[in-house]
Amino acid sequence: MSTRPLVAARPETIAEVTFDATLEERIVDLLRRYPTRRAAILPVLWLCQERYGWISPGVIRAVAQRLGESPAFVEGVVSFYTMYYTRPPARYVLQVCTTLSCAYCGGKELVEHLKGRLGISFGEKTPDGEFQLIGVQCLGACGGAPVVQINDDYFEQLDIKRLDGLLDELTGRR
Amino acid sequence: MEAVLLRARGVPDSRAIATYLAAGGYEGWKKALAMAPDAVTREVTDSELRGRGGAGFPTGRKWSFVPKDHPGPRYLICNADESEPGTFKDREIIEHDPHQVIEGIAIASYAVGAKTAYIYIRGEFVRWARILEEAIEEARRAGFLGKNGLGSGFDLDVWVHRGAGAYICGEETALLESLEGKRGFPRLKPPFPAVVGAFGKPTVVNNVETLACVPHIMTRGAHWFASIGRPRNTGPKLFSVSGHVNRPGVYELPLGVTFREIIHEHCGGIRGGRKLKAFFPGGTSAPIMTAAEVDVQADFDACAQAGTMLGSGGVIVLDETVDMVEAAANVAHFYAHESCGQCTPCREGADWCKDILDRMVEGHARAADPETLLRICRFSSSGMTICPLGDAYALPISSMVNKFREEFDRRIGTATPLPQKKLPVLPWAGPRPGFGV
Amino acid sequence: MPKLTIDGRTVEVAAGTNLIEAARAAGIEIPFFCYHPYLTVVGQCRICMVEIQGQPRLAVACATPAAEGMVVKSETSERAREAREAVMEFLLANHPLDCPVCDQAGECLLQDHSMEEQRATFTTHMTETRRTFPGYESRLIGPHVIQNQNRCIHCSRCIRFTQEISETSALTYKSRSNSTFIDTFDGKPFEDPMSGCAADVCPVGALTVRGFRFRKRAWKLRSTPSICPGCSIGCNIFIEHHERVVYRFSPRENPGVNATWLCDYGRFLAESLNEQAYLHPQRRVSGQLARATWGEVFPALSTELKAARSLRVVASANLSNEELYLARELFGRHLKGEIVVPVFPGEPRRMKNGKREWLTSTDAHPNSHGARRLGMATVDGEGLVRFLRGAAGTTVILDPSAHPSLASEEALQALGRGPLVAFARAKHPVADLAGWLLPTPSLASNEGTFVSSTGSVQRFAPAFAPPGTVHRTATGAMSPTCPTIASPWGPPGEARPLWVVLSSLAREMGVATLDLSSPADIFALMARTEESFAGVDWEELGVQREQRSYRERQHVG
Repeated sequence: MSTRPLVAARPETIAEVTFDATLEERIVDLLRRYPTRRAAILPVLWLCQERYGWISPGVIRAVAQRLGESPAFVEGVVSFYTMYYTRPPARYVLQVCTTLSCAYCGGKELVEHLKGRLGISFGEKTPDGEFQLIGVQCLGACGGAPVVQINDDYFEQLDIKRLDGLLDELTGRR
Repeated sequence: MEAVLLRARGVPDSRAIATYLAAGGYEGWKKALAMAPDAVTREVTDSELRGRGGAGFPTGRKWSFVPKDHPGPRYLICNADESEPGTFKDREIIEHDPHQVIEGIAIASYAVGAKTAYIYIRGEFVRWARILEEAIEEARRAGFLGKNGLGSGFDLDVWVHRGAGAYICGEETALLESLEGKRGFPRLKPPFPAVVGAFGKPTVVNNVETLACVPHIMTRGAHWFASIGRPRNTGPKLFSVSGHVNRPGVYELPLGVTFREIIHEHCGGIRGGRKLKAFFPGGTSAPIMTAAEVDVQADFDACAQAGTMLGSGGVIVLDETVDMVEAAANVAHFYAHESCGQCTPCREGADWCKDILDRMVEGHARAADPETLLRICRFSSSGMTICPLGDAYALPISSMVNKFREEFDRRIGTATPLPQKKLPVLPWAGPRPGFGV
Repeated sequence: MPKLTIDGRTVEVAAGTNLIEAARAAGIEIPFFCYHPYLTVVGQCRICMVEIQGQPRLAVACATPAAEGMVVKSETSERAREAREAVMEFLLANHPLDCPVCDQAGECLLQDHSMEEQRATFTTHMTETRRTFPGYESRLIGPHVIQNQNRCIHCSRCIRFTQEISETSALTYKSRSNSTFIDTFDGKPFEDPMSGCAADVCPVGALTVRGFRFRKRAWKLRSTPSICPGCSIGCNIFIEHHERVVYRFSPRENPGVNATWLCDYGRFLAESLNEQAYLHPQRRVSGQLARATWGEVFPALSTELKAARSLRVVASANLSNEELYLARELFGRHLKGEIVVPVFPGEPRRMKNGKREWLTSTDAHPNSHGARRLGMATVDGEGLVRFLRGAAGTTVILDPSAHPSLASEEALQALGRGPLVAFARAKHPVADLAGWLLPTPSLASNEGTFVSSTGSVQRFAPAFAPPGTVHRTATGAMSPTCPTIASPWGPPGEARPLWVVLSSLAREMGVATLDLSSPADIFALMARTEESFAGVDWEELGVQREQRSYRERQHVG
């Protein structure tokens, strides 16, 4: 399995952020694509999340300053979208689809099983920081219901056995 | 029917540009470049292609709204923010045949005079965003895109822009706001995007599947396209079928096929030999249909006539075991979570529906609940909100209440009153208030 | 100029006018929450739904421009009425029913509209658990503003204000859907030089001004049109007062100057108007100030002034044009005295007008432009001290707050050398030197005109008679910067506006031309004799004397 674990920077290390040369280079490349600097907010936030693992207030301030926006504006944007982590995420974020098709094709059972196995409910992290469980709305893969997205990867047509296998593999890799 | 949009499915190495070229790829782009932009638009208009994103607006007409004499840039946006519950067709196209979409984008950009095109793809589709980026790079290297594509003098840059998790950004003006780096709040219309769109410039927003149809219209002609399906409902259509069917998946069928054929023939009927209870014909935003309505034709006009809509063609099949109150609650949860929070009726109403339905599911229904639900839905739809998200939650929920009223009423009959929260009585520790203190 | 019909009334409005404004012009009120005439239209509250003939769906009036021949139904449309009723129901589903303890009550758009919708039957909104934002119920969001997110109706006016007007973009929506709330970046204080306006534009009690909370019910306040004394921009304000106490300034609409905005500095000067340190005319008798009556003041003072060896007058750029004119004519022309107007460059202030252009000022006075227009000599601090040093004869100080250096050691030393006549309101060291100490009231008890930095002559009206008895507050409800307040019960005080005193002195001295009985008369004389005021008509400066204006203010705030 090719799913890579997320590495979240510790809050104190990104309380103040300055973009290094590689990041800056990619930001310049992004800015080339849009007629306004503001349009680069989403892609730059993605870059930052890739680099730091999550979007801390320090990251928001740096992005706002780089793109000429107020930090409040950028924070408003960050909070509108569900995929920017505003707290450090676990190494593996399990996003279980809870919408109609998935819910009726085994999703509910999957959720119950996951909650039981990991001992956490939606929005929580396991104490070892390994797994985080999020109930999400439609992932756009209803034909493969039930679907779980682990970090960037989709896993479809899951059942409890296959999911357990996946989790074992992820845990074992540690 | 021969596969058109999904012809590459099952072909080895189908995403590579070489495979695409071997199948006659980018011929439509070459042909378009030899024509005047207006002629391209006319060809698409003649094909009677209607938008595959949900609203079914004629694509050629949409293109023709872009002002001809507007100075400065225009934009073409490919809407790949596929988020409607029950819809997963665009992902299928991108997975197997991304160049089809890119060629469509190129042709559409040429027709409307856009030199920059963005593909707005939902944030969760990391893999498919990457596929598109690779394909764009391939096409650029092959000389189809970029400066002076195919030596035509036409410049075109295509960029992939990832969303970050918001259903509402599939609505075209919310998409534009999001593209501009803001919260995805739908805009007031008019002005329409064709006049004032991305970055204040004329903009056309088309769905992935719509754009994927365009190269075929160019190569095989508007007449060929219009010969598929029914009048005014032409062409092949991808149906994403999910839920309680034996073979869920994406099916390419001509418009006008009946839902019975889709569910019972192509998808092999209901799982476990159970009976069909209801289905959503076009994602959860379309009013639900009962088993009795399964012979309705799956196209824009027939669905509209039946009081529902084809939407994105996301068919969600529910079998007899499904409790409609629970299903409604599930739908309400989706919209309560995805409402942008801008307009009063949708922000307050979607959440209110969710609260009521949750309470009903928990066994604490009240006698007035079905009527309250209907009232909330009535005043969230038909223009009560800026964008159609108000309708999108109101129509399915009200149709579920109306068509399965007895299930909702049964909940009332068996309901227990909501347990009253006991407020703790705190002893007053301070001095007693009173006179003479 | 499209002509349209609204509820059967025909009205002609300027092209581009939206239906809310067009209806107002026709005398019909269309309710709104998110609309604000000086902010972008977002059309998100959905209360302003109207029916337009020929359109199948209801339209939002705020975002629909009036068109020729349009037939609009607002009150008369059953569909529109139902829709509005539903929107109210949606809003009230989660809005707390805490009007009795909400400080916005009385000037709350939501409350007003629910009062108007008496016919409606809001039956269903009491059943579910209300949405709450724990921790955001009474939160100091910035130095001057308190937030109660539970009351927020998500109109986004405050956000648009910070984005479009004050340009700090300090406020934002966070989260989305029903959990959307207003916040600053990372919960940091809401620092904005116009933060009070964010509370002004809030149609409900979600943002309230900290300094005004629970001081006075809005419906008790009377509003008198006036001009902000904070700087030379001359923002139009209402002095809001009750029983001779000023409670707050609120912006008064003027597209040319401050649209509907007011900076925090100006806004919080309101409190200082309550200070009245000197209540009676006083005369120094054997080293001690003793109470005198105005009847004694005029003969004695006019004799003294006429007999003065030399006369130096320190005027002030805080005085009205009428007062400056009288001073110039009386002291300058008739008594051959020397007059200066000290000018103090204050901190830079700025304000946005209705066209969203910044007006700036580095001039701490409301009327230095008027003084210049009257051709009076202005001096800076050093010049003022130099002027005072030459004061072997009598000195008259018309306003000790004219310049900070009047309180300086050097100035006081210079002033101690000769007879001194001082007019004063707030406590000031020149009072200890004055032979005559004459009380003047605050701006709230005066009437006249100022010339703004944009060059327009603006009138301010008197709010109440000068306060008489003043006592220390027992409750500490007033701000610590103003330890005394006027008693609402006693007779009016003896402080008299400077123009009254000057024209009485003129009568006493037999200068009949300056013996005038109102600022209007003085202004008329000025308009006749001063080229720089020629053609300006007092009446046309148009300020109604007093109005119950919270209703009207709500149109814009």
